[in-house]
Amino acid sequence: MTTAVGVTGVRRWVRRTQSAHRERGETLGNFYFAVLFVAIVGGMAHKQLAVVFWPAAPHASGLAGAGLALALTGGLYLVLRRLGPLALSRPAASWLLTAPVSRRRLLLPSLCWATVGAAAAGALGGFAILGHTTGRPVTGAAELLPAYGAVLGGGLLLLALGAQADRWWSARSDDAAYLLLAAGLAALVADSAGAAIPLSAGWPPATAALATVAGLAVLLVAFWLVAVRRLEGTPNERILEASRTAGTLADSAFGVEPSFVTEMVERRYWAHRRLRSRRLPARVPVLVGQDLLMVRRRPRRLLWLAGASTLPALLAHAPGWLLGAAVLAGGLLAGGVTTASVRTDAGNPWMLRMLGLSSRAAIVQRLWVPGVLTALWYAAALALLRALGDLPAGPWWALGLGLGPVGAVAAVRKARTGFVDNSLLPLDTPMGSVSTGPLIAAFAGVDILLLGLPTVVQIAQGDPLSWTGVVVQTAVAAFGARAYVSGTTATDRVELSGR
Amino acid sequence: MDQSAIEVRGLSVSYGAAPVLVDVDLTVPTGAGVCITGENGIGKSTLLRCIASLQRPDAGEIEIFGGPPGSTPEFWRAVATTVEPPTWYPGLTTREHAELVCRAHGLDAADAGIDEALERFGIASHADAVPPSMSSGQKQRLTLALALLRPSRLMILDEPEQRLDPDGRAQVAAMLAEYRDGGGTILMASHDDVFAAAAGTEVTGMAALVAG
Repeated sequence: MTTAVGVTGVRRWVRRTQSAHRERGETLGNFYFAVLFVAIVGGMAHKQLAVVFWPAAPHASGLAGAGLALALTGGLYLVLRRLGPLALSRPAASWLLTAPVSRRRLLLPSLCWATVGAAAAGALGGFAILGHTTGRPVTGAAELLPAYGAVLGGGLLLLALGAQADRWWSARSDDAAYLLLAAGLAALVADSAGAAIPLSAGWPPATAALATVAGLAVLLVAFWLVAVRRLEGTPNERILEASRTAGTLADSAFGVEPSFVTEMVERRYWAHRRLRSRRLPARVPVLVGQDLLMVRRRPRRLLWLAGASTLPALLAHAPGWLLGAAVLAGGLLAGGVTTASVRTDAGNPWMLRMLGLSSRAAIVQRLWVPGVLTALWYAAALALLRALGDLPAGPWWALGLGLGPVGAVAAVRKARTGFVDNSLLPLDTPMGSVSTGPLIAAFAGVDILLLGLPTVVQIAQGDPLSWTGVVVQTAVAAFGARAYVSGTTATDRVELSGR
Repeated sequence: MDQSAIEVRGLSVSYGAAPVLVDVDLTVPTGAGVCITGENGIGKSTLLRCIASLQRPDAGEIEIFGGPPGSTPEFWRAVATTVEPPTWYPGLTTREHAELVCRAHGLDAADAGIDEALERFGIASHADAVPPSMSSGQKQRLTLALALLRPSRLMILDEPEQRLDPDGRAQVAAMLAEYRDGGGTILMASHDDVFAAAAGTEVTGMAALVAG
């Protein structure tokens, strides 16, 4: 027979036992360094932060404000869902979840932290919308936007909590959040394209707004208390899943190894799918057929990709070089739809050995589908910018098609990078030493985008695009792709990396 | 000409100061089957890894079909191995993995007998599953099924009976015997003499391979 024990006592014992082999004052030291880090980063980036949250001359329209609110709501909900929102540390998930302790008391600290985090994120979002949409000085009900944001953040947390306990609700609510995010981004793009949709009906009186937010806050607290009572009903496997996510994120952050997260996301996506075996397309090379099958299995990702081709329009008023760079970077997204298999082969070439294909044949075949996807994406993005009048006259769609190999090679190179090499010597800079391994890994793939420099120059100059410009860019892209393939692969080697 | 499939002479490997293989000789004639036995840690897997060119020895010579082992596509078209842990492509089912392997070797997917192979290995009901979702025994069966589905001249297997139930062991042993009857060469390490005999391989103790 088991007897329930107080979780507080167990946790205190764990902390006391852990602190026995910790250096004296280690926690205080960590706190000091955290504060110092925030102070230094804040001091360095306060101007950039001000531009993001509190621009000197706010000029966003009501439509942009509404779009931002929708996108932030959808985004915050999806983040909360990905993180749990209820999670335990890995040791606690292993030892305390299975122990005879009160489940409610075990999960309560996690719920408190999640509530504070969600409310803070919501308040920050409200503050940003306030900063971008209202004139100075801010008066009346507008001042309460951060408070509304905080209440909304808390509400989203409670919705995510319900979704964590119920698979049906989680699928539906995720879809709704994706729709909100898409609608918000669409509104931002429409605003950037000059759509004039009058949304501003004026702010309600301050007293009414205050009463509303106070009422909502009371309601939120009531629902929060109900959620606390129902904490024990959260299924174990959902808590364990969230704990694994938290653990992987921590591993990724401490080890400066983003591939842990990429791999986890990929694995979870396929683990929850019901597949039906299909014949690989017979008329194309075998790995091209595999990639085509993967594209067919990810229709939603293609939809997002199509939607994302409108996002460069958000930077229509930014400097030309920034717009050009943003368009080029989009190719990494488009090319990355099928590169998970390249990551697999780069990590362990077992399948490549089983297939008996040379690294050159494998990479050439793996470049086809990303090449077509990036070409179409670039063509759509540039044609849209031209249609909106953000680019001068010229065959921009053709330039986009010519850029295809650049995005494809960049995405494949990024996927081939493998683990971050943390054994490289750090660089000493005036601001401290910088690890070179993560830096090199971060720029792998991005460096290939330099092949798109003619496009960036063309956009930055603002001159009409000629067919000569298209030919030059196409030639540079094709030459770069060919050089990449011949320089990094071999016909007499199976492994993607040389030994 | 009667060429050996595997010829190992004076092979030595050590991990740090600890010698694992010292002056090992091994000859496996083409079309023969050899099963190496010995207790854990004696160096069976290390020997297989060296022969499969997955590990560089400190000293000694290895020849596979008269040439050095390497990482060329030609080598890996002739040699199928389960010495290393497998990886699986995300989003590809068990059956699609099998079809991918067959297509890469120029086999027609319809005539390659994929469904029959999955059936014989007892994983036909998992044809639509992604391999990471299967049990370790089922993954082991899939690995062996892939190795047997594709054409090869030499198979290097590290404890193929591991994680298989008694029925599975008997089936896999029968298929390996069939492979050898068809002219294939087998080199494997195993702890199961009965399995080795059923697979038609000759059992050799690691100690017998040390020269002198």
